[in-house]
Amino acid sequence: MNLLVALQIGLREIASHKFRSFLSMLGIVLGVSSLISTLALTAGIERGTRAFMQQVGGLEYVSVVNKEISTQMFDFWNFSPGRTLRDARAISESAPLISHISPSLTLAAAVSSGAKSERKEVQGVFPDYFVVARHELAVGRFLTDLDVERGLHSAVVGDAIAGLFWPDLNPSAVVGKTLLINSRPFEVVGVLQKYEREEDKRRRISSGGKVSRFAQKWDPFHKKNESILIPYSTMFFDFRAGLFPLDSMESVRLDSLTLRVGDLTHFRAALDQVRSALSVTHRGVDDFDLETREEWFDRMESSMRATRLSGGLIATISLVVGGIGIMNIMLASISERVREIGIRLAVGARGRDIFIQIMVESISIALIGGVLGVVAAFGLIEILKLIDPNENTPVMTFGGIVFSVGFAVLAGLLSGIYPALRASRLNPIAALRYE
Amino acid sequence: MPLVHLEGVSKIYRVGDQEIRALDSVDLQIGAGEFVSIIGPSGSGKSTLMHLLGCLDSPTSGRMRICGNDLSSASQNRLADVRNREIGFVFQSFNLLQKLDVIQNIELPLVYSGLPAAERRRRAEQVARDVGLADRAANRPIQLSGGQCQRVAIGRALVNNPSIIFADEPTGNLDSSTGRMILQMFKDLNASGKTIVLVTHDSDIAAVSRRVIEIHDGKIRREYFP
Repeated sequence: MNLLVALQIGLREIASHKFRSFLSMLGIVLGVSSLISTLALTAGIERGTRAFMQQVGGLEYVSVVNKEISTQMFDFWNFSPGRTLRDARAISESAPLISHISPSLTLAAAVSSGAKSERKEVQGVFPDYFVVARHELAVGRFLTDLDVERGLHSAVVGDAIAGLFWPDLNPSAVVGKTLLINSRPFEVVGVLQKYEREEDKRRRISSGGKVSRFAQKWDPFHKKNESILIPYSTMFFDFRAGLFPLDSMESVRLDSLTLRVGDLTHFRAALDQVRSALSVTHRGVDDFDLETREEWFDRMESSMRATRLSGGLIATISLVVGGIGIMNIMLASISERVREIGIRLAVGARGRDIFIQIMVESISIALIGGVLGVVAAFGLIEILKLIDPNENTPVMTFGGIVFSVGFAVLAGLLSGIYPALRASRLNPIAALRYE
Repeated sequence: MPLVHLEGVSKIYRVGDQEIRALDSVDLQIGAGEFVSIIGPSGSGKSTLMHLLGCLDSPTSGRMRICGNDLSSASQNRLADVRNREIGFVFQSFNLLQKLDVIQNIELPLVYSGLPAAERRRRAEQVARDVGLADRAANRPIQLSGGQCQRVAIGRALVNNPSIIFADEPTGNLDSSTGRMILQMFKDLNASGKTIVLVTHDSDIAAVSRRVIEIHDGKIRREYFP
């Protein structure tokens, strides 16, 4: 007997008991749909999170931060000059595993254009900043070494700033405009890209530019979009030099010092190089710390794993329950068909033929249930999207579908074995006499 | 070479400590083209004998050859193969599959011979014509009369062109005129060369055959030729 005939017989059997077959499929349907939805949800979260990780600078991003000094070392505090440009220089000379170094000064300034004036944060930066913070230009140019060297009055602004001061202009028209920072004129030379989460972008496009109230959530890119960036030297000479007359551009304390590790495979070694370079410039005073995103990203990764695992576990349990349901139905079905099996044996069916037939039936139920489960998962995911549109849109992957349906088929296969064995071992004489 | 050759064949069932000799050293030969009846009261062992001859079971001891196959201690799979090729069954209660139509019931043995679907169909339709059911081909057994059901069963027994046809009380569920018609079919089949073994408890029915074997207490008591 070939498989095609077994399949025909099996499908006829399933079709002749539609309701019963459906009930036995239900477990598989629920199992597969929940497994696919779980996989889709975690895939969505994963994609959203990874995109976010990339946007905020990735794992390569390291920040040198100030640390509370321990009480025993308190007397030595003044020995350390703190974070200065010398640190940056030391790192660039003796920490070759660091590819970009971005020291910066921050100023809360009155920023204005025309009649509009707002209090905004302005940063004085070096060209490396654009790499470390992963900025992308919409139009114009970044700040260059020339801007820093000459202390030019150029500025690069974020999309939100351009929109705030020149709401009617598109970004390319903003380049060349003048922005007043604490009354000093700066020429806008570049406008940064609008940073937004995937979901926001999609919603903005689909709603024709209007932002719905759903979008009024915490925006992780708020700060990047609000950037006002001017050359480091300009910042120092225009806004800082007069405050503490003894400060030079070299010795002024930085507001932030961020780095980019060139090659992640040497991440630890790179951090060690930075630490030893800084312990020299800080004269051995342990007043700094290296903040990495490793732990943060690890936490995100492990919470994603946990979600996937717990969802997968629940789905697996329901598939096992579905498998038990199939086994139950198959056992009931064969004890109802003992006589039929006897007749088939009498006309020459081998035990193997009966075994194959029951297996095919059991797998067919699981497969049909699996396919219905895929359809149900499609619906479920659409509903999820309607209920809670957020950045972690569920992504139904081909791999997830194949895995789930495969798992269902496996459940059907395993739960078919015992009934099929029992059926194939029936004695033809006893089976024929069975009433 | 006889089709059926039994030599000292016994079949012993064990029920608890008790040993039941359903068949006790039976010697029997049936040649090609014979029409044999096996008669005996219930419990005589005639059903056991038919199960052995029909390759549904193998003997406890003794030698058994069916159509040239030594089945003295054959496995279930080997028995199934011989059953499929060499043997056709007709039962008292028809034993048709209610879910299948006439043609599908008739072609059932061919499904297990591994014939392609078109060939199965062609042969089943031919046999349906032979047993006079061509016009009921698409009917289910439940829509047929008892005589028609038994004709389907005979068709199913014939479709594989077997060497021997076993009929176990084939008229038991039929009224007497239909029964006579079915018996006539067996006579016609025998006339066309088929070997027929008829199992019955009724000596009147056995009288249609040319050789009667009477079984009693697991032994052949006598043999006669009506």
